[in-house]
Amino acid sequence: MAQNLINAVTLGSLYLLFALGMSLAWGTIGILNFAHGSIFMFSSFTCYLLVQHIALPMPLMILIGLVVGAVLSVLVQVLAFEPIKRRNPDPHRAELQILVGGIGIAGIPLAVAQHLTKSVPFGYSKSTFEVEVLHLGPVQLTNVQLVILAAALVLAGGVGWWLRSARAGLALRAIGVDAEVAGILGVNRRRLALGTMAVAGALAGVAGVLLTYYLGSIAAESGDAFLLKAFAAIVLGGIGSVGGAVAGAMILALAETAVVTQTSGMWVDAVSFGLIFAVLLLRPRGLFGRREVRRT
Amino acid sequence: MTDWFDANIVLIQSTFVSLLLALSIQVPLRAGVFSFAGIGSYGVGAYTAAIVTINYEWPAFAAIAAGVVIAAAIGYLLALLLSRLGGLYLGMATIAYSLIFSVFVINGGELTGGAQGLFGAISDLTTGGVIGVTVVVVVLLALSERGRIGRRIAAVREDPELAMSTGVPVLAIRQLSFVVSGALGACAGAMNTLLRSTVSPDEIGFQLVVLALTMIIVGGSRSWLGAFIGAVIFTWLPSVLEFVGDWQTVVYGVLVALAAIFVPGGLLGVLQQGYRRWRRRALPIGGTA
Repeated sequence: MAQNLINAVTLGSLYLLFALGMSLAWGTIGILNFAHGSIFMFSSFTCYLLVQHIALPMPLMILIGLVVGAVLSVLVQVLAFEPIKRRNPDPHRAELQILVGGIGIAGIPLAVAQHLTKSVPFGYSKSTFEVEVLHLGPVQLTNVQLVILAAALVLAGGVGWWLRSARAGLALRAIGVDAEVAGILGVNRRRLALGTMAVAGALAGVAGVLLTYYLGSIAAESGDAFLLKAFAAIVLGGIGSVGGAVAGAMILALAETAVVTQTSGMWVDAVSFGLIFAVLLLRPRGLFGRREVRRT
Repeated sequence: MTDWFDANIVLIQSTFVSLLLALSIQVPLRAGVFSFAGIGSYGVGAYTAAIVTINYEWPAFAAIAAGVVIAAAIGYLLALLLSRLGGLYLGMATIAYSLIFSVFVINGGELTGGAQGLFGAISDLTTGGVIGVTVVVVVLLALSERGRIGRRIAAVREDPELAMSTGVPVLAIRQLSFVVSGALGACAGAMNTLLRSTVSPDEIGFQLVVLALTMIIVGGSRSWLGAFIGAVIFTWLPSVLEFVGDWQTVVYGVLVALAAIFVPGGLLGVLQQGYRRWRRRALPIGGTA
């Protein structure tokens, strides 16, 4: 029982690292990035390519994943989403184009990785890192799990603190409420949007590398599956809310673990989709979402 | 001509099935409803047709009709359930509905054949039948793009409040778009199953959502002609792109991304713009058409 709980929280931490950046970008600058899953996978894949040549230690791998994720995410923003927003002044139309553009871009890293790996799962067996199992009373904990838990705590806590307390965080939240008024008040929307995308990509990169260490290997298609789970977590918690993302990721992971351990495991994918559906029906703004107030 | 037809029969059939699938996403989109329920309906139609053909040996058109009726009914229920949602939220909810369907059929036991799916749904559906059904559908949809009804649908999409205040039945049109989307998706799924005689849960995944959406976006999202252009391109592109070999999927992704960024009206929009420019140049200033 306690063992299942720890495994569920580890899984939830990975979901959180992945979903947090997506939720942040969607809730503030209004970009639902469908290429997020591909960025996540490709950061991990880049580390794999490097580690084939040089035996790198784990902290350096995480750092590389972080940088690659941030760079890819900023590239997507500059090359695709900014031109789409410039060409579509109507926000609803832009929303749809961004969605489709993201889907198109997501296919490129996926195809490259599939081509280079011949669709065989890849892992970091050549890294200098050794998995160690720690026994704490009735439960076992690997050092990978410890790193994942610490990373989720520090990074999610950091983002949450920054949004709440830093001046730039306040400006970013202001964009989420009303982008135009925020612009009039002197908020540099472009720079903040780029920064948000960089943070989102960096979180995804870290999540990708950690997931690969945790599972031993991942496939090029892992990004798509994570994308859909992240939706469930984001929608469950409420878009743009850090606390919501934490709650959504943990509830999803606990529910999935419960389904896997209690049933034959065939229904596990239904959990995330069922949650999306149920939450949207009962509480369309999520558990922690704020009600939109419109004044005219 | 007949040689070419026989050699490419599978691709020709797929073109029409893809067209129906693309239309099942496009119809709600034209009414301003961002719904992917058509993909779930594709699954409903595919499995219904397979089950009644294998177990009860229904003729092809009865099997297709059974799938269409069930999916249209589910579409109406979804319209009632999801009426509060809008924009991306509705999109997400309908993606969830579509993907949960494949989990259900994997766990459906004997009825749905589990993860392997169903085999041996042999029927008398011909290519002519597929083309006939598609032509009827396209003619009906083309009529809905013109005149009074066309303007009403455009009003519901562009400004629902204004449409409502001028007496356009916004809610009814939106609900109808769910029902039509369900029927079209099921029709595509049922025909595909009967042509290939098999169906498996892998077919109804996120990839199908992506494919349907890219066909409309690259072709054009406002008219059936756009969906047709998209269906032709994405059915035939893989065989055209054979010369790039293994990098085919990379080229495919680049094309979709470029189309989404730089050609928001789709290829149909580009063609229409070009045609208008050409006509303006061909006529003297102030001349009549």
